[in-house]
Amino acid sequence: MITIPASVLRQIYDHTEASYPNECCGLMVGSMGKDKVVHTFRTCKNLNKERAHDRYDMDPLDMLRVEREFEKSPLEIVGIYHSHPDHPSKPSQTDTDRAWPDYSYVIISVQKGTVASAQSWVLNEGERKFYEEPLITGDSK
Amino acid sequence: MSSVTVKIPTPLRPITSGQSEVKVEGATVGEILRTLDSQFKGFGERVLEDGKNVKRFINIFVNEDNIRDKKELDTEVRNGDTISILPSIAGGG
Repeated sequence: MITIPASVLRQIYDHTEASYPNECCGLMVGSMGKDKVVHTFRTCKNLNKERAHDRYDMDPLDMLRVEREFEKSPLEIVGIYHSHPDHPSKPSQTDTDRAWPDYSYVIISVQKGTVASAQSWVLNEGERKFYEEPLITGDSK
Repeated sequence: MSSVTVKIPTPLRPITSGQSEVKVEGATVGEILRTLDSQFKGFGERVLEDGKNVKRFINIFVNEDNIRDKKELDTEVRNGDTISILPSIAGGG
């Protein structure tokens, strides 16, 4: 299960809608346990310019900066979000091929520029298959 | 021989018994990673290709520098450097 405060999720949605018709991506930061709780997020650059409408390659320097920013805090990167412009919020084959275990992958479907749905997925590494996890919208803090 | 701190990303922590950072001694990134492989079973398999190159979907930074822009595994390290191992994040619908 992953809990995301409503205000954080709204800001993530704003990022996905502002990036439409291209895909965008970012990192969710929070506490990692049996259940994850997101506290904040950071937007990251999508380096894939040729297929920005249906692919993303997160800038590794952005990930490094986020790791460094939170290294002295109890918070850590708990997952990745990215948008699917005019596609469902389900993992594609490319998502599955490039996924890492333990992180939550929140996929946001943006239809004609407006968020239509969001789902969170976790990779089962042995099966190389994503399973959906409950995404709970927590209270804003 | 330099003493460096290696930052371990979440997906690799099961291999390092949950440790998020490890202190290691070595002269190059390759030496450091091979030392980690001898300390933690399966580490090299996840990070290195045939024990010689960094896997395509892994990024390794020495401080702020990606070793792909330097001398890859032959990149030298200095005392107090931080090596960050980061998964390459990508996908798309």
